Amino acid sequence: MNYLFNFEPTELFPDASLLTCNRENVLKSLGMKLTDADDYLLNLIEQLTKECIQLASPKANYLFIENPKFNTTTKETSLNEMLFDTGKTITTLLKKSEFVVLFACTIGQNVEHYSKDEMGKGNSLEGYILDLIGSELAESVTDILHNYLEIKVKEYEMGISNRYSPGYCNWPVSDQHKLFSLLGNYNAGISLTESSLMIPVKSVSGILGVGKSIKRLDYKCRICDDEKCILRHQFKH
Amino acid sequence: MNTEELLTKLAECVEFGKVNKAAPFPPAMKGQDGADELAKLAVEMGIKPTDILNEALILAMDKVGDKFTQKKIFVPQMLIAAKAMNAAMAHLVPFFKSGEVKRKGTFIIGTVAGDLHDIGKNLVAMIVEGAGWEVIDLGVDVSAAKFKKCIQDNPTAIVGLSALLTTTMQSMQKIAAEIKAEFPDIKLIVGGAPVTDDFSKEIGATGYSSDPQGAVTLLNSLVA
Repeated sequence: MNYLFNFEPTELFPDASLLTCNRENVLKSLGMKLTDADDYLLNLIEQLTKECIQLASPKANYLFIENPKFNTTTKETSLNEMLFDTGKTITTLLKKSEFVVLFACTIGQNVEHYSKDEMGKGNSLEGYILDLIGSELAESVTDILHNYLEIKVKEYEMGISNRYSPGYCNWPVSDQHKLFSLLGNYNAGISLTESSLMIPVKSVSGILGVGKSIKRLDYKCRICDDEKCILRHQFKH
Repeated sequence: MNTEELLTKLAECVEFGKVNKAAPFPPAMKGQDGADELAKLAVEMGIKPTDILNEALILAMDKVGDKFTQKKIFVPQMLIAAKAMNAAMAHLVPFFKSGEVKRKGTFIIGTVAGDLHDIGKNLVAMIVEGAGWEVIDLGVDVSAAKFKKCIQDNPTAIVGLSALLTTTMQSMQKIAAEIKAEFPDIKLIVGGAPVTDDFSKEIGATGYSSDPQGAVTLLNSLVA
């Protein structure tokens, strides 16, 4: 069967009105449950979320790569002859992929500037909530891309995996440089610092596996053996 | 209002996050003077700045830190309390500058290179500052070189390294080693969600704390 995937890097510009912010995730990052929050805080989150959605400039870039090679012994993944130190968990989970997708998504810099401005004025609560909402919106852009790709590959009777990012599941953040070198100019306008951090900060990059036996899993942290990871403690997976 | 009543009221404003009269939070204190007005009044009344600091502000922030450790309050309440404390502290700045009020010491803090997470680091900075320390916050994604430059400028300071990702704990280890190589006598404390006491010992840190109030206790013990 011939696959009709476009192997060239591709850009999407989702409408900002499609972005959503999971309020419970914001509260979890504040160490709280919904029942711990008073009206003052809930109204503040709601108001700032609306402002952030108006400020966001969502962009998603992706690239299909064929013939990925996974070595579960060395815990490495080879994409277009470039070796990634994806670690045991990710390498194992992706090993049946027939393709992988590298992606970079962002909401731009407006929300992070707004957050920094508020912090600078001494409004650390507002600044911190804006920062958390920005993270949620960056995940939301990535959700939109992930869902879009899931539908796209389903046309070829394939499934898509969960998404994995450098810095998590023991995948060193330094591999960002390789990931972005493969994405080339289709980097969603994201640049990297020397220490491999993304600018704009409210961005998500990573890898997805695609194949006939690949599935998106409901559970997250149970697939990873990183017991010290913040996400495991925060979301108690 | 006498001195004792004023300091008690000021401490309550800091503890519950009443920044100033115009602030809508907490709803129960709406329309009342806040930390800003009461600290100004305390200075105008001639209350000793060290009393304002020790008997109102530090006392209140100690309670805030304890309640946070006991999970009786959460990050938002702590941030609002810190804002109220800063509003009050602004009235004491001239006394810090003149030397009439002394800090317990200087604390340099930063999130290590490769890591952008700052809330834990910010909370520690706020509570440590509220406990009477001068805090130099270097921000996030801080390189060993930046830490070392700051230590050179503040040779008696204690240094705090923060990391949130397990993958950036390696960066913490590397930075700690670089700092210790150049400043073998420096006191270095570490923290962050994935960091443990064992890890702190492994990288040669002086100490570890799992929460902001613990960091204050640790710092106070290091200068005692």
